[in-house]
Amino acid sequence: SGGAGGLAQWVLVELQGEVEPRQSGELAGSLLGDLHYTREGVPVLIVGHHILYGKVVQLEKPFAVLVKQGAGEPSPAGPHACYTVTALIKTKLLFKTRPKPIITNVPKKV
Amino acid sequence: SLVIRGEKDEQAVLCSKDKTYDMKIADTSNMLLFIPGCKTPEQLNADQASCNVIHSQIAGFSNNYWELRRCRPKLKKLRKLLMEDPYEGPDSWKDQTLTFSKYTTEDLLSLIQASEEEILHQLQVIDACKIEGFWRILEFDYEMKLLNHVTQLIDSESWSLSKVPLCTCLEELGSLEPREMIEHTLLSYGRKYIDDAGEVYFEMHEDKICRAIAQMLLQNAVKFNLSEFHEVWQQSVPEGMTTRLDQLKGLALVDKSSRPETIFLLKVEDLPEDNQERFNSLFSIREKWTEEDITPYIQDLCAEKQTVGALLTKYARSSMQNGVKVYNSRRPIS
Repeated sequence: SGGAGGLAQWVLVELQGEVEPRQSGELAGSLLGDLHYTREGVPVLIVGHHILYGKVVQLEKPFAVLVKQGAGEPSPAGPHACYTVTALIKTKLLFKTRPKPIITNVPKKV
Repeated sequence: SLVIRGEKDEQAVLCSKDKTYDMKIADTSNMLLFIPGCKTPEQLNADQASCNVIHSQIAGFSNNYWELRRCRPKLKKLRKLLMEDPYEGPDSWKDQTLTFSKYTTEDLLSLIQASEEEILHQLQVIDACKIEGFWRILEFDYEMKLLNHVTQLIDSESWSLSKVPLCTCLEELGSLEPREMIEHTLLSYGRKYIDDAGEVYFEMHEDKICRAIAQMLLQNAVKFNLSEFHEVWQQSVPEGMTTRLDQLKGLALVDKSSRPETIFLLKVEDLPEDNQERFNSLFSIREKWTEEDITPYIQDLCAEKQTVGALLTKYARSSMQNGVKVYNSRRPIS
């Protein structure tokens, strides 16, 4: 279990569908969006001009993040690769509602 | 740390120090982003600092993940590997010439789909021993030869079966066989203890010795007349030991339908490791089984907290025969 001095605790964000980079850019290094929490603890994600509401879920089966250590090419004589648990994920932020576009200028009907 | 084990033709398993897990890839249509150091609402509430923007990086994302399910360690291969070259004794010419088919602990760790502790435990269960750094299983005839030396000595010295002295055994038998082999036999067939004077003794396992002798008798015949077998078996075991059919669970099976009743060798370790294959194999040997007869042959299939009853419900169909509940195959067996 991750406790004081234990493993890093990460958080999973689960989104429906796919995330695409703006225009022809790359995902790596790009900004995804802003994450906020309401006073009630509801996670809110703003991606581009969309807003998504989600919920905090405690995972029944936590995830472990494994990082491969050791030799690249497997060989009978050489050292064997092994995996070290780098972090645990016990919580996820699940966004499964339809993203709503944020409209900043709503013309009033005259 | 964790180790993934398996050869190219095997399904991968993940092993911790003492447990084994089946690995299955699970796909999701959702996107999973992993964020180190991301805070949850509770953590932020506790942190009463003013509203700051925290720059977090998404470490990565994925559409799939590995799902683990605890499984039985796949240990049948261990016996298979060690049986490639069983140890026949120091006089055997084989050992001097052939050097392949011998396995160190490291070799076994890379070939067997089980955790280290499970492998080491199984090596003890099958009475394997380390000879010159390699794990070896004794060839059965050689093992019986060693056992016979020990039981004959116990008889000639009139020792109690629960107080067999290590020292004297090594002295008296050391000229006939390697001392390590004598001690290995005592360890395999007895329980080691130290008395108040600091002397090492063995309390012999009556059941295990009787069982080994039964195997010796049964393996040379397709089947044995049951009453004849009882007689010969009792006469063959050391003085003071009593033979009982229940010592042979998972080793031999009695055919109560034949006239006269017969008994034949059926070793659970010779049967398939996979659940369905095991049941198919058992049902092709005998169409209908009572729970009492089949239990020793399926006990090892039980997962953590699974009962034999649950296995029977899943893989067999029950019916009544002469007032007794019997199990047969769910599907036709060719």
